[in-house]
Amino acid sequence: MPETILKPEELQPVTELARKTLGQLDRILLGRKELHRLVLIGILSRGHILLEGLPGLGKTALVRTIGQILKLDFKRIQFTPDLMPGDVLGSHILQETTSGKRELVFQPGPVFTNILLADEINRASPKTQSAMLETMQEHSVTLLGTTRDLPEPFFVLASQNPIELEGTYPLPEAQLDRFLFRVMFDNVDVDVLNQIISERRRGELPPPTWQMERADLQTLFQTMGKIYLPGPVSHYIARVVSATHPGAVEATGPVNSYVSYGASPRAAIAIAEAARANALVAGRPSVGFEDVKIVASPVLNHRLILNYQARFDRMTPSKLVSELLNQLDETGLNLPKDVELAHA
Amino acid sequence: MNRSHASALQSFARNLQWLLTLRLAVQLATVWFFAWGVVILALRIFGIQNIYWLTMGLLAVAPLAFIASWRAKKQRAPLTKIRASYDRINACGGIVMSAETHDVAAWMAQLPGVATPKLQWRSGRALLLLSASAVFVMITLLLPNRLTHFPGRRPLEIGQIVQQLQAEVKVLAQEKIVDAQKAAELQKQLSQVQNDSLGYDPAKTWEALDHIKQSDSDEARQAAQEALDKTTSLTDAESLAKAMEQAADSGMNATTASQAAQDLASMLSAAKLDNGLLNVQIPPALLAGLNGLNKEQMEKLLQGLESNKGLLSMDISNLANLKMIDAATLAKLQAAGTCDNPDALADYLSSCTNGCDAALCTHPGKGGPGRGGPGAPMTWSTGASEKDLKFQEHSLPPSPNLSQAQLMGVSKAVPELSGNEVSAEHGALNNTAAGGGAANARVILPEQRQAVQTYFKRDN
Repeated sequence: MPETILKPEELQPVTELARKTLGQLDRILLGRKELHRLVLIGILSRGHILLEGLPGLGKTALVRTIGQILKLDFKRIQFTPDLMPGDVLGSHILQETTSGKRELVFQPGPVFTNILLADEINRASPKTQSAMLETMQEHSVTLLGTTRDLPEPFFVLASQNPIELEGTYPLPEAQLDRFLFRVMFDNVDVDVLNQIISERRRGELPPPTWQMERADLQTLFQTMGKIYLPGPVSHYIARVVSATHPGAVEATGPVNSYVSYGASPRAAIAIAEAARANALVAGRPSVGFEDVKIVASPVLNHRLILNYQARFDRMTPSKLVSELLNQLDETGLNLPKDVELAHA
Repeated sequence: MNRSHASALQSFARNLQWLLTLRLAVQLATVWFFAWGVVILALRIFGIQNIYWLTMGLLAVAPLAFIASWRAKKQRAPLTKIRASYDRINACGGIVMSAETHDVAAWMAQLPGVATPKLQWRSGRALLLLSASAVFVMITLLLPNRLTHFPGRRPLEIGQIVQQLQAEVKVLAQEKIVDAQKAAELQKQLSQVQNDSLGYDPAKTWEALDHIKQSDSDEARQAAQEALDKTTSLTDAESLAKAMEQAADSGMNATTASQAAQDLASMLSAAKLDNGLLNVQIPPALLAGLNGLNKEQMEKLLQGLESNKGLLSMDISNLANLKMIDAATLAKLQAAGTCDNPDALADYLSSCTNGCDAALCTHPGKGGPGRGGPGAPMTWSTGASEKDLKFQEHSLPPSPNLSQAQLMGVSKAVPELSGNEVSAEHGALNNTAAGGGAANARVILPEQRQAVQTYFKRDN
């Protein structure tokens, strides 16, 4: 717990940086303000983001633009079924040194960057997907007994096609859990499409008019550490995550019916961090219940493992989380059923 | 924290406490009212009818309010949660929550306006139940006493019957038909029966009442029969005395007078006027000197007989007023011993010289041979010779309409004949038993039986 809470004059410039970033994203990529906000929150939380949507919806453009705005190294890997772990992590190459000896020299893979776009990640084989586990969690790569740290900050922004498509491998749960958010790319509406047609000829994106300096990004990360998470909110996050497990005390009926396995403690940490980031973007020094509600769904929707009954009943994790948030009393005030609390 | 937000938070906490207290108080009061109502009902059923003490249950409302307040305090969430709730409702973004541990004064200006969250209690069902329980208590308090007894413990509604029987016993005691001790005992029994009467076992009560009523009726019937006998005797004696008085004026000889006096004395003696339930007293001096009473003494005797008849009549009237004797018995009593033609008896006594039957008037029957049929007045004289005479043939008058007959009683049996059974030996009724209906389809009513019996008996 921070000893002192941020003062308005401390927080305001940092919030301004976040808002400028959002402004640039919204200007360059049309019609996805909420999604941009979530992606920024994910980056501020130093989490990896899984972007899910059909081809052509702007996933790659989003990642590329973020890299430009944040002035971070950006690399892209197009995942294919024959992609090998070495193609991602790097490999040792036998080279002749100046002294005439031959030695194995490590050739870093594309993962050694700040922002890695793992495009169509679910087209790679599980073996290759698993190669990403250490990089995502530890921010390091271990090959032949040598561990090499990745540059900081390190984000994986992966895109995946819906798993129903041909030639896809579902991501293992262990890897899914390492993504902070899973963000769904929906189709944009007609007005936005019209604007895209008229303003983005040949799909060329306008360059950013403002870029964040590395120091500013560092300031953002430092400020994130000072956002205060009150005890009741922390308790609420714990209750929400706990309630995703079937059979838990506060588990709802749908959770008991459709969920095989609930969210991990990593999800609770992710919600807390994302809620902090949301508060920062909103210009507040502390986290409120509304921050938790905003980030809970993207954090949890890829962490709940549903049973077959859920498929039959067309129940989605997002619906489950939404119902759970609606039914769970945030404050634990435990009012009698016939007493309601309303805004004055 | 901003003072206004702090005060709004305090106000919210206070409102929550009050609401929970009120809600719990209503719940407790509802439960208490129902329980209290049941207790009142039970106490009233088991005999405690003092409404003043029963309403003391209202005093329990005060401790209930205290308990509700205490429980509400326990039930109310801690202030941290109330603060969190206030923060959420007012969209304060966690700043109000942070104020618990941090100085957030710098952020107060950026908070939304102060607004105490509203607490809404859907109290309809709770208040309805409270009203129902209060009404229940009122009903249990205001319920009439007769409805608060178990059917088994509820006394029978026998007040009127007991009053009637008490009045009967009182009259019987007044008339000295029953002695005072027995009357007091009967009254006591009646009171006991009334107090002990129970709805779930009415047979015992009805049995006791029937027993007392039967006892009263028996006494009354016995007294009525006695009064009837004595009145008949007194009337007969009175008729004879009047005839003797008239005959004395007309020159009745001494032998006849002596014989008549003896008949009168034996008549009064046989009546046993001073025995039984209704005692009648004739001055002993008169009774001792019946043979040779002068006119004045005879007048006194007549007055004595008359007054005694009046006393008997009054006694019987009292019994009849309470319907302890039936109308037929009363009618018999009023017609008892009527002498059809006292003047003829006086003439008979005056003219009789030897072997007179002074008690002729006591013989039933009317008319005589050649004297105009049954409707003719009774005459007494020396017996007329029946030689070469034959009865003038008359057809019996038609029987009265049954619908006009007076009901004496209902019996499936043949009407009983008192004394010797008489069979008709002449005419259409030859060899038919009375009431048998063998020869004549007409039913001989009980009141006709005596006339028919007498008519044919004379031939014997």
